[in-house]
Amino acid sequence: MSRKRAAPKRGLSGLVALFFFLGFGLLALKRGTLESAVPALALPAVILLASWLLPLLFPLDRLLLSLVSFLSGLGILVLYITDPSLALHQMAACGVGLAAMLCSASFVRLHSRRSGWAMILGVLGLTLLCLPVLFGKEMYGARNWLDIGALSFQPSEIVKPVLVFCLAAWMSERRILPCLLFSALCLLLLMLQKDLGTALLYFAVALLIWWMASGSLSVLAAGLLGGGAAAVWGYHHFAHVRRRVEIWIDPWKDYQNAGYQLVQSLVAIASGGLFGVGLGLGAPDSIPIHTSDFIFSAVCEQFGLIFGACVLSVYALLIWRSASVARAARYRFHGLLAMGSALFLGLQAFLIIGGVLKLIPLTGVTLPFVSYGGTSMVSSFCLLGLIQGVESLNREALDGDAHLAMLGT
Amino acid sequence: MKRQRYRIKLIAMLLILCFLGLAAWGAWSVSHYGNRWFSHAGNVRLNALKKEVTEGDILDRNGILLAHTNENGVRVFRESAADRSSLVHILGDRQRQIANTVESLQAGYLYGYQSSLPDAVYRLIRKTGRCGNNVSLTIDADLCTEAAAAFMRHEKTGGRSGAAVVMNYRTGEILAMISLPSFDPDNVSEEIIGALDQPYWNRALQAQVPPGSTFKMVTAAAMLSRGSAGAADPFVCSGSLEVSDTFTVHDFSGVSHGTLMLSQAFTRSCNVFFASQALKLGSDAMQAAAEDFGFNRNFLFRDLVVSNSAYPRGAQSPAALAASGYGQSAITLSPMHLCLMTGAVANDGIMMEPRVVRSVRSASGAGVLSWSAASLMTVCEPSVARQLQLLMKDAVQGGGSGAAAAVTTLDIRGKTGTSESTDHGSKVNYGWFTGYNAQTDLPVAVTVLVENIPDGETGGTTAARIVKDIFTYIRNHPDRVQ
Repeated sequence: MSRKRAAPKRGLSGLVALFFFLGFGLLALKRGTLESAVPALALPAVILLASWLLPLLFPLDRLLLSLVSFLSGLGILVLYITDPSLALHQMAACGVGLAAMLCSASFVRLHSRRSGWAMILGVLGLTLLCLPVLFGKEMYGARNWLDIGALSFQPSEIVKPVLVFCLAAWMSERRILPCLLFSALCLLLLMLQKDLGTALLYFAVALLIWWMASGSLSVLAAGLLGGGAAAVWGYHHFAHVRRRVEIWIDPWKDYQNAGYQLVQSLVAIASGGLFGVGLGLGAPDSIPIHTSDFIFSAVCEQFGLIFGACVLSVYALLIWRSASVARAARYRFHGLLAMGSALFLGLQAFLIIGGVLKLIPLTGVTLPFVSYGGTSMVSSFCLLGLIQGVESLNREALDGDAHLAMLGT
Repeated sequence: MKRQRYRIKLIAMLLILCFLGLAAWGAWSVSHYGNRWFSHAGNVRLNALKKEVTEGDILDRNGILLAHTNENGVRVFRESAADRSSLVHILGDRQRQIANTVESLQAGYLYGYQSSLPDAVYRLIRKTGRCGNNVSLTIDADLCTEAAAAFMRHEKTGGRSGAAVVMNYRTGEILAMISLPSFDPDNVSEEIIGALDQPYWNRALQAQVPPGSTFKMVTAAAMLSRGSAGAADPFVCSGSLEVSDTFTVHDFSGVSHGTLMLSQAFTRSCNVFFASQALKLGSDAMQAAAEDFGFNRNFLFRDLVVSNSAYPRGAQSPAALAASGYGQSAITLSPMHLCLMTGAVANDGIMMEPRVVRSVRSASGAGVLSWSAASLMTVCEPSVARQLQLLMKDAVQGGGSGAAAAVTTLDIRGKTGTSESTDHGSKVNYGWFTGYNAQTDLPVAVTVLVENIPDGETGGTTAARIVKDIFTYIRNHPDRVQ
């Protein structure tokens, strides 16, 4: 297992920085004010600095860092067009996210003996998930937001890395019972919050981590059957699930009410065509929730479908790179941790992009790293941090091998 | 550990495959439906665009200008009132009261939302304002006028309502489509519109009417493809069939046909025969055959919005099942769908996607879109389709119920139909004729629906005569529709 993977140089983040320099620069020229030129310099500077400074702390994967800085920059750019103040918030969230990434990476590096921590984190996570059921406020039909003073956040986002950590820890030690209990409780609490999109995501990730660790096809089949049965049950018992499916089948029937979001999303994507209408043009305001769930439609309208396919391939690259990190891991725990995190990010992107393209019913999850939202941003960066932590351990182990080999000669 | 690595790779590959599928789906759906999505009434970009862009022209398949915007920004249609009213359901009216017309569905092209670089250069040189694209249709405008005139000639009753669809069944090109009553878009007064029976409604696409005996095509296809014994066995028709205590099938004016086989039953349009065959086949087989022909399917075409057709789902009562054998009970379809079905039989079982837009060219003449034929689905085996073709030949040329539609030097085949439904409590009779020309150089299918025919009249009378006039025009002007 001493396959050496080529570490990308700083060129890629330079390219990403150039992209945003040009993007924000064009917008600044169009607006013609001095202060609009600030992000054109600030964002590329942050991207370059991050790719230069962060790997000094401990070894990080630069490719993953560049891909994610592209995605977050893209979100900030699209937000900046409709509302510069949102873009500012998002930039701050990215900063917090980077810190969160370092924290979770360090956590992975420091705590190889994880059983105790998994239990503590698991209990904390469940407590967090309970809070919105008790004190939460309802948004878009789901009761998944929590207000603490000026701070409002979604616990179901924060618990994502916790779920990956706990399941990876227990499954690598083949402790089935806590896994089963924890997953079931998480799903139950999410159901109580009526956050069915996130519940679906949790279910899929938990099932796949389970299968990765055990390789038991019967468990996978049972899980899929159970999930299918739950979906049918949910279709018959939740009116808003039925409505989502109806909208998915024919959004045009009631385009002024029920189908409005999806119709506007499809109209925007069609307006963009292959090459897009151009940066800052078009009518992104006409798409409902264009800052969060439907941000991919706004990207497609302005940049075109070909660029949209590029965004998809960035996610695909992210998954592939994380998979290779997971495969290079020396311990089962680390492999599960890295791939579980990648699954969360990848599946979530697939669910929402598939939804706005009308391939699958809309689930109302955010597009990782791109959608506006502090909690979602921090949670995505935490998941990235888990992958980066595993990668840094891999690198150090590899360096250790090389050192030993040198001593041997 | 090694196995876990393998499974990680497998999952990553599957997930990436999902993303590939997503990209393929996005590309396919936008290339297929993108223009229609853009042209949707809910698009705010379109309203902004209409203020600054000159809308492009609409032409028919022979280059006749159907709609044009003059220097004053006024949309001008054809010169004669008869031409304008026969095309109004295809093109659209000025008040945009008619749904899903070329003007509304093709607005994305007509207003040229995405203009290319050569066009921008062309505008710069010619110093013109922004112009939309010109859209050429598959329609023959004169054939539309002729079809409307044929209705006026043959339909003696006051209503003069109905619809006609003419298509090339090998390619799916719609050659003509009219809906009556119609009106002149340049002379719309409240009184005229109020006096007419729902003139804004495009009956060719939106009517949902029982198909009557034309549905015997489907029952016969079910018998032939499911090897039902009835196809070869002689059957004795006594003129009526008691299905239950309250429901008895009668033949038209109570005639008893005596001993007959499928071919005689089809040409004479014997209800008793097809009712008993439907009972033999059962609900499931009948539903499957109907769904093979496109019933209960969500129609999604690129250029047209067509009402879905219905065949009762699940188990039916014996009375409903028997009536469905000859196209009554709760079966409904649109004239467009019946024309597609007829075309599919003529095309050896392959139904083509109906299309109205032939090509789109930018103001500078560069091609934006050119038409391509696409098959929609297979309705039956080629061998079954050929047997149905012979049945339909006999119905017209063998002294059957559709004899009135025959045209010399053409090979017309078809099926008549007479059905009834209740509209707000009053009984309405419909006369149907659907047929096609079997000659390979003129592959044209025609479907005509006449509403409110008087009692005693059938699809074999008025509707068949209108079809004959349409085919006569096609025979006399083959170059216009090829």
